[in-house]
Order: sequence, then C-alpha cells, then structure tokens
Amino acid sequence: MGELDLKNLRIDYGARMIIRDFNLAVRNGEMMSLLGPSGAGKTTILKAIAGLLAPAAGDILIDGQSVRDVPPEKRDAVMVFQKPLLFPFMNVAQNIGFGLRMQGQPGREARRHIGAILALTQLEGLEHRKVHELSGGQQQRVALARALVLKPSVLLLDEPLSNLDANLRQRMRELIQTIQSETRMTMLFVTHDQSEALMISHRVALLLEGRLRQVGAPRELFYQPADPEVARFFGGRNFFQGHVRDGKLHSDLGVFPVGPQNGNGHVRTATIRPEDIRIAPRATGQSRGLRGRVVKTRFEGSSTRVVVACGANEVMVLTPEDAFRPGQEVEITVPPEKIRLFPGD
Amino acid sequence: MTSPLTTGADARTRKGPGGVALSLALLPALAVVLILFGGGFALGIVQALGYLPGAGLGEWSLAHFARVLSDPDFLHSFLLTLYIAGASTVIAAGISIPAALGLASLSKRSRVIHFIFQMPLTVPHLVIAIAVMFMLAPAGLLSRAATGAGWIASPADFPLLINDAWGIGIILTYVWKEIPFITLMLLAVLRHTGRDLLDVGRTLKADAWQRFRYITLPIIFPALGAASLIVFAYTFGAFEVPFLLGQTYPMTLPVWAYKHYSDIDLMARPEGIATGIVIALVVMAAVILAQVLTKAARKRGLIA
Ligand SMILES: Nc1ncnc2c1ncn2[C@@H]1O[C@H](COP(=O)(O)OP(=O)(O)OP(=O)(O)O)[C@@H](O)[C@H]1O
Ligand SMILES: [Mg+2]
Repeated sequence: MGELDLKNLRIDYGARMIIRDFNLAVRNGEMMSLLGPSGAGKTTILKAIAGLLAPAAGDILIDGQSVRDVPPEKRDAVMVFQKPLLFPFMNVAQNIGFGLRMQGQPGREARRHIGAILALTQLEGLEHRKVHELSGGQQQRVALARALVLKPSVLLLDEPLSNLDANLRQRMRELIQTIQSETRMTMLFVTHDQSEALMISHRVALLLEGRLRQVGAPRELFYQPADPEVARFFGGRNFFQGHVRDGKLHSDLGVFPVGPQNGNGHVRTATIRPEDIRIAPRATGQSRGLRGRVVKTRFEGSSTRVVVACGANEVMVLTPEDAFRPGQEVEITVPPEKIRLFPGD
Repeated sequence: MTSPLTTGADARTRKGPGGVALSLALLPALAVVLILFGGGFALGIVQALGYLPGAGLGEWSLAHFARVLSDPDFLHSFLLTLYIAGASTVIAAGISIPAALGLASLSKRSRVIHFIFQMPLTVPHLVIAIAVMFMLAPAGLLSRAATGAGWIASPADFPLLINDAWGIGIILTYVWKEIPFITLMLLAVLRHTGRDLLDVGRTLKADAWQRFRYITLPIIFPALGAASLIVFAYTFGAFEVPFLLGQTYPMTLPVWAYKHYSDIDLMARPEGIATGIVIALVVMAAVILAQVLTKAARKRGLIA
C-alpha cells in the first residue's frame, strides 16, 4: 500500500510562509509529479513528507494514518535528495545496503536484495567501487538504489535527474518509469522541467509560489490549463481578450465559434498555443487568414519560433518550417477548436 | 600550531598552470624552512653521532644513541612523555566530540560560544601554564578558596596537582588549550557534510544512535585522527609546560633533552641531542600520519 494524503499543509521557514493551503492526494501505485519553478517550495514539501521538516499546520497521512508525530526513521516514506549525498566512507554496495543494515536485516538476505537492486538500476559490477570513483549519473543511480531497496510505501524523488546530461537523463527517466511500473511503488517525483513531468507521470501537480495551482493528467494540464499562469508555465504565450456573445468569441484576432458559454458579454481571457497556429507566406489571392508581418524569428532546431505583428497584437507561432525572415508579410490561421477560453470569474 | 585542514593548499594549487606559479612563489619561503629545519636536523644528527670537535669529540659513533636508549632513566622519561601526551590527547578528544556535536546542532551560530572556544587558541601555552600554577599550586587560588570555604582544614590538605607524579597540572593545561583546536576542526567537518548526510540517514531508517555510530563517527574520524595526532605531536615535543609544572624526576623527554644539552659537562651534550632527535622522529611520524588522514578525508569530500 502507499496512499499519500496532504491536508491543508502550511510550512514556514522562520517567519516566512513557504507553503500554504496545500492539499494533494497521491493514489496507491501512482506516479505523481510535483512540478514547479525553482524556489516554488518543492523540496520543502518533500522534506515535510519525509519528516525532516515539521509543518506549521495541516496533516500528512500515509495509508490513512497521520504521521505528524512519527519521526522520519519510522515513516514509510524514503526520500532521494536533489544531490546524491552518498556516504563517502562506504562503497557502492554498503551505501545501497545502509537502510537494510539499519533495520537489522541479516547479511545474506540483504545481499540478495542489494544484488536485485544493482541489476534493476544497471549498476552491476560497480558494487565495490568507492563513491568518489563514480560518475555523476552512477552516483544518482546509487542514491536511487539505496532508497528503492527499502521498498517504501511512498518514494519521494527530488529532481533525481537534474544533474545529468540530456542523454543520460532520458535513460534514467525511462529507468525510473520502468521501475515504477514494475514495482507499482507510489512515487512523488519533483521536477522543474515541464516536459519531464508530462512524460513521466500519471498525474501532474503544479506548484507556483508555494500554492498548488492545478492537479491532473498531463494532457489536462497541457490542454486545459486552469488559468493563464498555468498555461504560461507550460509554454503558453498568446493570451488575448474578448467577449463571448451567442457562442462566439469576439476578439482582436477575429471572431471564433466557442460553443455555448455562460456569462454572455463579459470580458474573458483566451489563449492559443504557438504550435497550433498555422503560418504561411502571404498569398496574392483571396484568403481568410489574419494578415501580419514577421518581427523576429528564433531557430530551435526541429522548429522555429516566429513572432508576428498583427495590428496591435504580437502573436507567437511555432512552425516546423525554417522559412520566415523578419519583415516578411505573412498570413496566420487560428483554428477555433484549439482556442482555450479560461473560465470567467 | 597550524591546522592540517588548511595546510593542504599546495595539494590543490598543484593542478593547473596557476599552481605552478604559486609553487614557484613559495620557493623562497620553502627554502628558509628547509635550511633552518633540515639544516638544524642534519647538524643535530652529526652531533648526536659524536662529531663535536669543539669539545674534543671528533669520532663518529652511534654510542650516544646507544647510551641514551639503554639508559633506564630515558625509558622512564619516554614512558612519562608518552603518558602525558596520550592522556592529554585522549581527554581533549573525548571532550571535543560532544562539544562539536553540540555546537553543530545549534541552529544558529552563537558568537559568544564561538568566541569562548576560539579564545584559548590565541593564548600561548606558557601563559596558561603560569595561570594553572597560580590556580592549582598548594598555596594557589583554589587551595586558598577551598580552605576559606571550609572544605579543607588547611592549604596543606589540598591535593598535589602540580609538579605531581601524574602530571595532572600539565595534562589540565594541555586539555584546556587543545579542546578548542580539536572541537573547531570537527565542527568544520560536521558543518561541511554532516547535516545533509544525517538527514539521508534518517530517511534511510537510522535511529539516533545508529546515525551517530554509522554516520557522524565515520565523518569526523579523519579530522579527529588528524587533529589528535597533531595535538599528540605537540604535547610530546613541548618543553615549557612540563618544565614549569612537571616534577624533577622523572622528567619528560624534552626537559631531559634540554637538561643534557645545557649540562656543564659537554660530554652530555650529544646525548641531549640524540634525545632531541628521538623526539623529532616521533613528532614527524605523527604529523605525517595526520597528513595521510587529511588527504584521505579530502579525497572523500569530507573537507574542502
Ligand atoms: N533552510 C531554509 N531557510 C529559509 N528559507 C529556505 C530554506 N530552504 C529553502 N528556503 C526558501 O524556501 C523556498 C522554497 O525552497 P525549496 O528548496 O523548497 O524550493 P524548490 O522548489 O525545491 O526549488 P529548486 O527547484 O531550486 O530546488 C525558497 O524561497 C527558499 O529560498
Ligand atoms: Mg529543490
């Protein structure tokens, strides 16, 4: 079992309130990402769950039991830290076996478990290495193995991939995913990388400035952000205002059918993702697109970011074609079904 | 006394072109040290081997070493010195461990406590020895205070704490002086890596005792060993404190060496020097071992 329930959590550092009104339920066997920019309070939350920080208010439940008065060493939650923090005076196998040894597990059984984890984390052959003789990625894997071997109900991972290069990052991410789906261990995976969160988890919880902003499946957060800030965090750039009348959004960028909506006539904010806008050189003939002029471009490899001035608005477009130059006259098309209209207040 | 944790600068500067330049810049200073220390040492060896023409001693021989080493008084002195240095080191280290742990657990650095701990580092041993003498002598402050308070009938009942057989005054002086040194060395290590690793240990199910036994002790061990060896080396070779607070027989080795060297009988001089060389060898062995431990600690990232 491994159900994690955070209820009305508030965490302070001295007089500074870091986390407030934090509610989150992680289901048994779930892989949940806690996503947020640097300084949002992600590590703080993990430390509170692990018991290394005492919340100022609220409660933490593991499998329905409050663990507020349970010391870290007795909680069924193990944390993998942002840095590997291996014990420098032990070799790889001793590091991995540390928790088992603390629990008084007999040597033979421990060795069997360590062997299995070494295989799972692809560390075979390194068991007798000193930790300062390991690469950064190997150290991260030892830190992961050291926690996994305890088979905790809840595994807390604090940006375990942040110090790795892109290649190794992908391999480690896949490794963690495989381990998760094989063991069905409940995991709370902290990251500041939105694509990592979308790729790795069943559900994503977005934390901005100490507050939980939205929880949901990756596609939900990506396609139905709760508010403009959430959209912005996931790469949303084009925000515009308009008002809805008779199922249509009237805006500077045009009139779009949006289906029946409440709050007829009120000003509402809408957004369209840069990659959903179509762009083409301006045709001579008749067209229904919006006319604009390229302001600047940024080549990103597999795609190019193009900023287009349309009247008073600047629209950002992401296109696979590297065919546009500043000053060029273009035409953009906004597919109405891709417009996200934020709920009014 | 220099801290072995800071003398490693050369080890780091050796890398890269900047390090070479720095090493070159250090050359004059190194030369002075080498000539003064190495030269003195060589001269000492020459004299200890019996070459002292001014005194009419012109023959090379190991006889002086042999005579020193076979002298039962030398053995007494050697054991006494070993006891004093060993006891001072063990007691100071034993007190420093809880002191460092206590200081490290303070969430904020307390300036007052740090000042109290740093103060003894700046006071010369000689000054402390004299202070101890005033405090603990049979007619000293403590004895008079105890008499005044009615705890003892007269100052004569006060236990002998200086110039005594157990070297209590000497050991107290060293302990008081060396506790801050060891404590601050341990504190540096605990601050550098201690807290994070203890948190890791906690989430990996180690209870308080296990965290101390399996994390704290191994973390501080190299620094504790290095600091203790330095303290041992110092107390083994120091002259002024046992000279002031020790008994007349047996003497510690440094006092014995000095007595022989300054004897009006010039024949005793080579023996004094031979003794000095024995002391120097013990001290050097301790310092080299301390360096080895420091190097190991640095390799493992326990110290910066
Ligand atoms: N020991 C501390 N004392 C005071 N403030 C702290 C402490 N640790 C963190 N903070 C503050 O709490 C806030 C949240 O920190 P936290 O480490 O949880 O952020 P994070 O989301 O993990 O960021 P990152 O992605 O950079 O690791 C930050 O503003 C930070 O400055
Ligand atoms: Mg963090």
